[in-house]
Amino acid sequence: MTLSHSHSVRSFLGPVRAVIATVIAAASLAPGALAQDATRWGPKESASSFGWRFDDLFMLIVILTGVSFLIMMVMLLVPVFRDKARAGHKASFDHGRSLHDKRFTAIVSVIVFIVLDAWVLVVAMRDLDEGFWNVPGPGEAPNAVRVQVLAQQWAWNFRQPGVDNKFGTPDDILTLNELVVPASAEAEGNEDWFAGRPVVLNLSSKDVIHSLFLPEMRVKRDANPGAINRMWFTPIRPGDYAILCAELCGFAHYQMHGKLRVLSPADFDAWEAEASAMALAAYDENDAGAQWAWDWQE
Amino acid sequence: MSGEHKGGFLSTYVFSKDHKYIAKQFLWFGLIWLLIGGVMAMMIRWQLANPGEAFPLLGKLFFPRTGGVIDPDAYNMLFSMHGTIMIFLGLTPALIGAWGNWCIPLMIGAPDMIFPLLNTLSFWTVVIGGAVGAYSLFVPLGALEAGWTGYPTLSTTVGTPGSGETLWAIAVFIIGASSIMGGINYITTVVRLRAPGMTWGKLPLTIWGLFFTAVLNVLFLPVIGSAMLLLIFDRVYGTQFYVPATLTSGGGDPILYQHLFWIFGHPEVYILILPAWGIVSDLLSFFARKPAFGYRATVGAMLAVTVLSAVVYGHHMFTTGLSPMLGESFMLLTMIISVPGEILFFNWLHTIWKGSLRLNSAMLFSLGVIFVFGLGGLTGLFLATIATDIFLHDTYFVVGHFHLTMAASALFGAFAGIYFWVPKMYGRLMDERLGKLHFWCTIIPLTTVFCTMFVSGWSGMPRRYADPTSSPYVAELQYLNEITTIAAFILGAAQLIFAFNFIKSCFWGKKAPDNPWEVGTLDWIPAYPVPHGNFATTPTVVTGPHEFSHPALGPDRDWISQTEALPETEGKTA
Amino acid sequence: MLNLLLIPLGAAALLTAALATTDDETAVDVSKRHERPPHDVQLIIHEGTRLLAADADDGHDEEDDYAPALFARLSAEFPNRFTEDDEGIFRDAWPETRDGAIVWDDENECYWEVVTADRLTRGRQDYVQFCASCHALEGDGFGRSGVALRPPPRDFSQGLFKFTKVNSEKLPDDAALLALVKGGLLGTPMNEWDISDERLAEIITYVKSLSLPGDEDADGSTGWRDPYNQIAGVIDASDDPWTDDPGGAIEQGEGLYHKYQCYTCHPAYADAARTDALRGVEGSGTYPDDHTYPKLRKDSSYTVLDYNVAILPPDFTWHDMRRGNTVAEIYQTIAGGVAGAGMPTWKGAAPDEELWAIAYYVYDLAETYKGNDAQRAAFMRSIR
Repeated sequence: MTLSHSHSVRSFLGPVRAVIATVIAAASLAPGALAQDATRWGPKESASSFGWRFDDLFMLIVILTGVSFLIMMVMLLVPVFRDKARAGHKASFDHGRSLHDKRFTAIVSVIVFIVLDAWVLVVAMRDLDEGFWNVPGPGEAPNAVRVQVLAQQWAWNFRQPGVDNKFGTPDDILTLNELVVPASAEAEGNEDWFAGRPVVLNLSSKDVIHSLFLPEMRVKRDANPGAINRMWFTPIRPGDYAILCAELCGFAHYQMHGKLRVLSPADFDAWEAEASAMALAAYDENDAGAQWAWDWQE
Repeated sequence: MSGEHKGGFLSTYVFSKDHKYIAKQFLWFGLIWLLIGGVMAMMIRWQLANPGEAFPLLGKLFFPRTGGVIDPDAYNMLFSMHGTIMIFLGLTPALIGAWGNWCIPLMIGAPDMIFPLLNTLSFWTVVIGGAVGAYSLFVPLGALEAGWTGYPTLSTTVGTPGSGETLWAIAVFIIGASSIMGGINYITTVVRLRAPGMTWGKLPLTIWGLFFTAVLNVLFLPVIGSAMLLLIFDRVYGTQFYVPATLTSGGGDPILYQHLFWIFGHPEVYILILPAWGIVSDLLSFFARKPAFGYRATVGAMLAVTVLSAVVYGHHMFTTGLSPMLGESFMLLTMIISVPGEILFFNWLHTIWKGSLRLNSAMLFSLGVIFVFGLGGLTGLFLATIATDIFLHDTYFVVGHFHLTMAASALFGAFAGIYFWVPKMYGRLMDERLGKLHFWCTIIPLTTVFCTMFVSGWSGMPRRYADPTSSPYVAELQYLNEITTIAAFILGAAQLIFAFNFIKSCFWGKKAPDNPWEVGTLDWIPAYPVPHGNFATTPTVVTGPHEFSHPALGPDRDWISQTEALPETEGKTA
Repeated sequence: MLNLLLIPLGAAALLTAALATTDDETAVDVSKRHERPPHDVQLIIHEGTRLLAADADDGHDEEDDYAPALFARLSAEFPNRFTEDDEGIFRDAWPETRDGAIVWDDENECYWEVVTADRLTRGRQDYVQFCASCHALEGDGFGRSGVALRPPPRDFSQGLFKFTKVNSEKLPDDAALLALVKGGLLGTPMNEWDISDERLAEIITYVKSLSLPGDEDADGSTGWRDPYNQIAGVIDASDDPWTDDPGGAIEQGEGLYHKYQCYTCHPAYADAARTDALRGVEGSGTYPDDHTYPKLRKDSSYTVLDYNVAILPPDFTWHDMRRGNTVAEIYQTIAGGVAGAGMPTWKGAAPDEELWAIAYYVYDLAETYKGNDAQRAAFMRSIR
């Protein structure tokens, strides 16, 4: 991945991340190796334009909290080994309420707040504003692939507007548990957040709360009955990816998975044209019950 | 109980108003439910590692229709009831009910709780709640299936038509009433019944933890009560508070429930953890033979957490479609909690620094709280940060996180309390060798279980999947589930050591001296059996609870009772 | 403390809930008629109301009272169905009038199978839990989650099941239904239900009890309550004649597919000229514009509201086949037909060998083109 807008964080992260990842991997390899069918460790590689934001921020927090935890463990283990009760050894009589101790407490608190909280907060706010929660507003992403997602027990209904780009028309493409969208290679590392064809989704539900989880896109959003939630991502590589439900939705919750098919732009256009034509052929004007599209929410 | 307590069998042993007897009742009640919830946990883990295979030994007993196989609906019931039981019927009684009742009057020098009848009522109300919860397991269509959080609309008749869910809501409502009664009692007792000289600054930190817990209980249990009441109305009387207008009908809002639930649910985390923090803060000082470092800062940090706990609940709802500004505000507020959290760790670690550590079972479990809460608390940062929480929300990362914080830490706090106070409660010492074995057989598999959960969550395994092999993406992580399950069964088996030790020691253990730990708090003044009314003469407090290793005390003695004046303080360091 | 006052209210709610969901109104008896010997007799729910109301104390444990009581109730409810002599059926059957008991009825020359109220109750409870979200509590397919689903969820009152792999003129037996429920239907929210067989069997019993009474005069069957229906098992698919020559099967299958004019509903996978050639006719074919698209059929016997829901025959290169993972499964579906849809039963209408060949051809179409969008587009362009 090459990204122009995050050099500082990423260049710092590079080597440290490698070290940390090695350490964690080594620690986990032992049990992992025991299991013969160990096929994966960690999330699959990000395939969306801002998926790296999760990966990087996760690693940043791993480093920050890891160092904090190490310091804590040293401070825990040193007295455990050094200051065991024994004959002739007496604890120091220290209430920790001297001015020095108070200052020390305050300084550590400020450091913790700045390093652990403020740093992560700033990065996270940037990531939210530029990625996760930066759902394109009206007119911001004219090329967007728009999808209406209607969740139900226990399946995902996807509706795409088809070639006429209007919802609620006879050529709307309806798919079940399979979402087909185009890849936008140019979106990778692009300063323009909405480069290529971002996929914008409107989510709702027929019955209970579901949650659309696309692990390789690093996004997740609840589908609430009676409301429409929005979410977006831009896939950057063609391939088949997972669709999972992340909110308990009844006893077959675990079976509510699907497939996200990301096609190259040309393949997608061909698919869309054909799917639209198929939808037209299947359209039944008498069957009002099948027409559940809603007004697009931007 | 106390030898002098006069009364009939019922008023002595069943409806006793003596806080010490009620504490024992709470403790046994909580431990029995912890056992039930623990067996459920084993079944959950079994199903995750071996989906579709019959649960060994007990399976045919519990699931006769399927020959021991845990069907997906039974699995949903298991994890839902596991959560409910562990939180409301296991940890709350065993930690808050037992140690609140035991410690508060004894440690502040009071003869009993200020409202003894309310105290009795509090216990028997939770018994009724537990009975209703237990009954819900046997009704047609089974118990709660919507997770312990019971989100509508799954928890309304839309998703769970059976009566089990209604009974669950009623049970939670009743248990909430019990906690409110307890909370009122604790607060009033601490405010009104402190012994002469027991200023707020001389209260043991255990009392502070329990006090803040009681405040949270009184403030936020009514919220869950109202949420449950609306849910009951929705389910039984057909109102639509939570059923939205969709393609079908309705006019309510399921998100309303999430707000109500989490405005209670997040403080509930601190309700469970604050007593453990208090106990640990005291015990670390007691067994490091060193004054508690930064007493005021510790109390202040607990107070700050208590206040903040009410305004951070939104971090449970980052993916529900919260307004971005609201979400980011909750992210900031949540992160701020790490500051008081850090102060607690800072003070604990400085308390043991340069101490003279007596590494007995109670101390080991207190140190264990630092370890598991450290792990759990720090991983909270991943979930407070929205950009990472979006991926990690509702994955096993969350499961690992909250088990380490509110389950393992609270449980370790309860264990530390048991190892510490049983010598006064039952007059007998716990077996130290078994206690240490219990500690090591607990903390190692426990760390494995929940750290492996972090890995599977980070790898994208969602929670509450009855059969993780169903989806190809998740099936690749099955080896992690297998590791977790093996460790979980070791962890479960290790608790049998505790059960054996506890029962053996309580009834046949070595007789304990009056003050086996050589600490100065008031609870160690009365001799076993502690009489009704606790203190022959009301003690007068002149010293703080943690004045250990005072330089003027001489070589043979490193502690001083709270009723004794400190020697001249010229040797005081720092 | 205000909460305390609410405890009685909670108790009242508890009581109401317990009363509201007590579910033992269910009934007994199910009877059945069949021409075959008992070992493969399948359950027929007797004509009548959905579930007969049974008093809690109607003497289940009293051997002497039970049969007369049952008979009295049934004969009161269906005056034309029983004669005085029939009482003997119930009396003789005891104590076999337990769950699953099969008794011979001399009078009507059929077998009766009995289902206990307990079994139906358990089946109903699991149905409510697992199935009702789509198929609705009443079993009519208007569940909350079934809204706007196309194809819509089954209306069990019609007793029609599409992909059972059973001769669609007969009713599927329990094994066929169990296999369907366990296997799920690809491309629909009908998942692979991962529930123990015993519970599924009870659900199936209950689902069968939802079918409405059939018309005695009508040919064929409409449901399990029709005493004259016939039940069949899954079509045998063990003797695949083409195992040695799949290539030949595909080639011959293409010809047969067009010869039997499958393209009337399904797409033709050939242009007009080639279709003519495959059919062995010359220049006779004037084919519609949507020749290579699936054609809507509204003449199914499956109705929603007041119009027949449009059943779309699959394009094998585009749609999921509900149960078409193997050649054998496709053969079974072709041979059995699709109940309630336009697909007739082909077994007997064409030689088995030919049906197998078509199955090979269809399987090959799906294998080659489904999911390979570019290849499919090129192929479709060549024939349109």
